[in-house]
Amino acid sequence: MSQSGVIDQQDGALSQSRPARRRLPFFGSYTDNRRLFLFCLGAPAVLYVLLVGVWPLAQGVWYSFFDYNLLKPNRTKFVGLDNYVDIFADRSARQAILNTFQFTIFSVAIQLVLGFGLALLLWRDSRFNRICLAFLLIPATITPLVVGLIYKALLGADYGLIGYFLANAGIGPRTGLMTDGSTAPWTLILIDCWEWTPLMALILLAGLKSLPSDVLEAGQADGATSLQRFTMLIVPLMLPSIFLALVLRTMDAFRVFDTVYVTTGGGPNDATNTLMLLAVKEGLQFFNVGYASAIGNVTILFIAIMASVLIFCVRRADVRINGR
Amino acid sequence: MIKVFPTSLLCRASLVGVGFAALMASTTLAQGKPLAGVTLTLASQNDQFGAVLAKLAPKFKEDTGADLRVEILSYGELLTKTTADFIGDTKGYDLVTMDIVWAGQYAENGYSVDLTDWVARDAAELELDDIYPVILESLGQYDGRYVAFPFAAYANVLAYRKDLFEAAELAVPATMEDFVADAKALTDASKNQYGFVANGQMGPAVAQDWMQYNSQLGGSILGADGKPALNSPENVHSLAVYKELFADTAPPGAIEYDWGGREESFRQGLVAMMQTWSVGAPGYSDPAISNVVGKVGIAPAPVAAGMAPDYGVGGWGMAINADITPAQQEAAWTFIKWLVSKPIHKEFNLEGAGSFMRKSQMTDPDLLAKFDFLPVIAKTYENGNGEYRPRIPQYPELQDLLGTAVNSVLAGAEEPQAALDEAQAEAEELF
Amino acid sequence: MSRISQRQIIAERSALIVITVLFLLPVAWLIATAYKPSNQIFSVPPRLDFTPTLDQFRSVMSYFDVASLTRSSLIISLGAAFLSLLLGVPAGYALARSRSRLANGVAYFFLAIRMVPAIAALIPFYLMMRDVGLLGSWWAVIIINTMLNCAFVTWMMFSYFRALPKDMEEAAMTDGCTQFGAFFKVAVPAARSGIIACILFCVMFSWNDFLYPMFLTKLDSKPLSVALLTAYGTKDITWGTLGALAHFSTVPIVLMALFLNRYFVQGATNGVQ
Repeated sequence: MSQSGVIDQQDGALSQSRPARRRLPFFGSYTDNRRLFLFCLGAPAVLYVLLVGVWPLAQGVWYSFFDYNLLKPNRTKFVGLDNYVDIFADRSARQAILNTFQFTIFSVAIQLVLGFGLALLLWRDSRFNRICLAFLLIPATITPLVVGLIYKALLGADYGLIGYFLANAGIGPRTGLMTDGSTAPWTLILIDCWEWTPLMALILLAGLKSLPSDVLEAGQADGATSLQRFTMLIVPLMLPSIFLALVLRTMDAFRVFDTVYVTTGGGPNDATNTLMLLAVKEGLQFFNVGYASAIGNVTILFIAIMASVLIFCVRRADVRINGR
Repeated sequence: MIKVFPTSLLCRASLVGVGFAALMASTTLAQGKPLAGVTLTLASQNDQFGAVLAKLAPKFKEDTGADLRVEILSYGELLTKTTADFIGDTKGYDLVTMDIVWAGQYAENGYSVDLTDWVARDAAELELDDIYPVILESLGQYDGRYVAFPFAAYANVLAYRKDLFEAAELAVPATMEDFVADAKALTDASKNQYGFVANGQMGPAVAQDWMQYNSQLGGSILGADGKPALNSPENVHSLAVYKELFADTAPPGAIEYDWGGREESFRQGLVAMMQTWSVGAPGYSDPAISNVVGKVGIAPAPVAAGMAPDYGVGGWGMAINADITPAQQEAAWTFIKWLVSKPIHKEFNLEGAGSFMRKSQMTDPDLLAKFDFLPVIAKTYENGNGEYRPRIPQYPELQDLLGTAVNSVLAGAEEPQAALDEAQAEAEELF
Repeated sequence: MSRISQRQIIAERSALIVITVLFLLPVAWLIATAYKPSNQIFSVPPRLDFTPTLDQFRSVMSYFDVASLTRSSLIISLGAAFLSLLLGVPAGYALARSRSRLANGVAYFFLAIRMVPAIAALIPFYLMMRDVGLLGSWWAVIIINTMLNCAFVTWMMFSYFRALPKDMEEAAMTDGCTQFGAFFKVAVPAARSGIIACILFCVMFSWNDFLYPMFLTKLDSKPLSVALLTAYGTKDITWGTLGALAHFSTVPIVLMALFLNRYFVQGATNGVQ
């Protein structure tokens, strides 16, 4: 950095007493002073997150090794990995794990496809498109709890505005979309898509808008068809946006709770039970802190694994397509 | 023992409080407002009585000088928030409405003030003789001690469509066998008309409704030894009947109903018969919310042929938070006595709380004029059973197990025997 | 993107209109329930017409202290947004300007924290707040929301500052500006739209969150999102009440998102660069 001398001058004694351009293991050619300044800017946030975020999470890990129920404080005992064993031994919990994965994979995949289409539709910068986008984002700004309630009311087979006509037209089970183990999970996936596809589109649109125009024009000059342009030019350049959209939505979808909680309660027969639903029930209804913490930790583990897989896949795609 | 968790069960200095109360009593009694300056916070379930409690607050202030603040909460919210308040010692609430099935937990953990001595002391003032014994016992007591005091009793009754029964020339069912037969006879899917409705949604909704039918069909959740007997032959039979009712006679969407969906389907006129808490009964003749005004009759719920009359009783007790100061506790007790006193409780019900529990209310002309089904409620209380949902500390877990098991049977995923066997195995681990 | 036929534009726009309407209909239904008499919210077969009434709003007012709920929502979401920016903006700047190889890792750590399921930290956090005596106050909710938000803000601002050219700050420092001055007077104003986007997302998140406040607040500190829950889960879902309450809880946030829409897009744009 060419300014390091300048910084030394104005910041006085501390830096003058040291060599101006010492190479530090982590901080390259910055001076100590610059390093200290940036450290002071960053440290409070890190400390705060460690104290308020990481510390409770660590406690959660600790609790998960105990049979610890807030309602029975006298019955606390160390049980090792029993809580974790219980999760995988319990039929409902196993079903919940499968459901959560199914929900996440399909809703994110559908949202990616629909979101990309929507983003392409909105690409052209016009007042009309901006207004449409603003309205489209409304579902994402509504409390998820309310989203669940709206669909609960609309999809009921007996008097719901949509469900009544679907059921009477013979579309889906006569008992309503949410009542059948084969349709209920897909209904929840569709609700999630309704809620989040526009946000997905927004992130992708942002990526589209930051594409370098010369590349696109070059493609046009080559006489590439729109499909070729899309697969050969746009998608590779869009990888960072696609990655961000996928990571954000995957992690959110994996934590799905509100909509399921108010629509099916996990039924019928556990077909829509999810990990978060289970954790909230154990934690906030039974105050079974040990078990609830174990479920929470398993969820975190799964999220971490999925994020790693995603990062790995995108890196590889990036290397293969863009050669970087 | 290793001290793993920060526990801060504080013993609160009570002397200061008592002294303060005495001081206050001596200075304010003269003005006839013994509780001037006191504020009571009440956590209320969002049932009909919630809004009425809030409405009566100014009158309470007028009579005693105390401010009453009512926070209305949904069921899950109420359970979570009050439990958090108790275990966190945060004293957020002075008074808490307690579902009768929570009694075991309250007693075991000492959440609420033991009211036994106060009830004995003020028996005359409370006019205990005027309250049905089953209500005193099941809404207030656990193991003979008062963990709460009853204030909102509900009777399980049969709501039926008079017009549909007349058209089909059927009599209101007196036995469960008739009930099933009538439900089938009154079902005509082509006319969008169904014989029966109950909760089917996984979780508390289906568990509680099934336990009601189970009891009327001769089943029981606990065995004579107080241990779970979920897979007894009677229970398996009753679950099979429940499933049959759902498959043949309920609106198609009923498997997803909780209380709200169930009541709405009845008010929409889809259903001929529904067992329900008496608290909802006035709503059926309220044109603002009901589409079946004037067509609904209320009758005692049927029981299996040959069974002695045995009707479900439920509802809410008012509990006092054990963490608050003795002075606050006394003030809270004053509120309870005020609320359940004959004139106030009558007004409470006239305002639509639906919480009848005094014998004198059953023949009160003002109340009868408004609520013609009171004799049915009286009959229910006289043969009431508040124990068909076991009010033991393990109740929440039992209810959860049943909520899953019964729902899976209704969904056609499991047979009654297998589902209840599985639930029984898990239930035994709780005891 | 030249040579676009008029026909294509019309096709695109009609498609967009249809999609937008589809996305908005369910919301419209909920808003409409607030103006329906209770017995007309549902019917067999379902109908769309109704006799407008304001009864639902009256009922909401008798059930809830809407002013107090709104005040709590505002205090919690603005308080948490303010603290998150106070912590997150400098941290994002530090990470973006640092040449340390650790910087990227720390940035991803913040992103990861944002993704932790709420329930995993809720009970330990609850016990922590109990021990420091903050249960039932706004602070408890603000503290936890600040944690989640500041992780997000740090990540967003990290991407944002990284995309900003350093020249301006360097020029300022050459002109005798302190390091802090260069950050606060040059970099922060340049990142204005990113910061506004962060505020938007923070406020939206805290405003809509209900699990933490349900657990951590009491009557006086309860926000609107928790009150929404009260309409549900009762023996009767009072749909009209819910619709009326949604006017207070949802409409402001939707309006905010509508009016500040361009920051939404900008925020997301810079988040991906």
